[in-house]
Amino acid sequence: MMKNKQQVIAIVLVMVFGFILYFVGTDGFKAFTAESARTLQLEQDRPTFPNVILEDSKERMYSFSEFEGKYVMLTFIYTACTDVCPQLEMNLAEVYKQIPDNYIGEEIVFLSISFDPDRDDIEALKKYSHYFNSDEETWRMTRIPDKQELQNLLDSFGVIVIPDNSGNFTHNSAFYLVDPEGKLVEVMDYTKIDEAAKKVNAILNKKVGE
Amino acid sequence: MKQAIYGLIFYIFLMLPPVISISESIMVLHMHMQMPLLVIVGMLFTPYLKEKFPGFFEKWNTNGVPGTLLFFIILIYWMMVPRAMDDAISTLSVEIFKFISLPFLAGVPLRDSWKKLSKRGQSTALISFAIVYGIVSLLYIASPNQLCNNYIVAEQKALGWTSLFTAIGILIYYVQSLFIEEELEE
Repeated sequence: MMKNKQQVIAIVLVMVFGFILYFVGTDGFKAFTAESARTLQLEQDRPTFPNVILEDSKERMYSFSEFEGKYVMLTFIYTACTDVCPQLEMNLAEVYKQIPDNYIGEEIVFLSISFDPDRDDIEALKKYSHYFNSDEETWRMTRIPDKQELQNLLDSFGVIVIPDNSGNFTHNSAFYLVDPEGKLVEVMDYTKIDEAAKKVNAILNKKVGE
Repeated sequence: MKQAIYGLIFYIFLMLPPVISISESIMVLHMHMQMPLLVIVGMLFTPYLKEKFPGFFEKWNTNGVPGTLLFFIILIYWMMVPRAMDDAISTLSVEIFKFISLPFLAGVPLRDSWKKLSKRGQSTALISFAIVYGIVSLLYIASPNQLCNNYIVAEQKALGWTSLFTAIGILIYYVQSLFIEEELEE
């Protein structure tokens, strides 16, 4: 009988240990994949957009502080991409359409940043702009020519890019919203267009109301 | 004692940075080679530990059930929580936890428990083991999304299929064990 009791205690202890392990390991059962953990972490950390030099499809070069005072909605892409990126950009265009005209360019700027500066030259960015009907002003297609700066940005925003052997990349995708001070405030699911647009509009309304 | 020394040599070998980087570079190697080898390291340590602390195992794992349960908790954590492998690669503390939990919280309790389990307990454990692998294979084959940030979808699929083969292997072992008496071999 005594022995049995000890077995029960042992089992309970093991179960409690297991519960704690899974609880800690999944941030309280909220994040089972590294991607969801990353989003959760980013929204807590709110990293600042590093001051990198961007080059856009109109051959302009400027630093990110160009957008100071405005919200920036951004995505990370490469133009040779055939699966996720076109979908991501198509959805971004949908969000763009749902933002009231008076906000566009004044309160918010859209930005697509290529992480493949070798192949995405000005010509490629231009083509991409036409493809998605961006006006190259309030929605700009850009690349970061300096590789070190690019890597810093990808690291601080938790974008993981893995080149595969056929010249493509596997990468995680999302909409990123950076506030007027350059801090990341939201990481949104790029497949939920309406939800993202609603969220952005609410944030912009609040900004204008202040 | 001899086993423990082999285990230690093996353990140190698995900890060498180049060995770690190779065994974690491919998803299948990470889950189906490095992790089981760590469990085997723990198994090699078991006789030595039981000699050192005979009371502990006798007292807390009399019938083998708590030990088996602990083994499954650790196993399921590393196999079914996709971020566990990502975290091990990106966070040092999780990597250390992997190198401690798999030998000492999975390997040691499994070897200590196995002989203590009843025939029915062993069958249940084997079938659960096959089910875990089966679910893992479904998870990684069926998921259209990339589950691990460090591994591409193709690797994920490969992992799913190898898990399925492992599950089938375990089931075949189980079925043969129903017909072939182990005593005959001994």
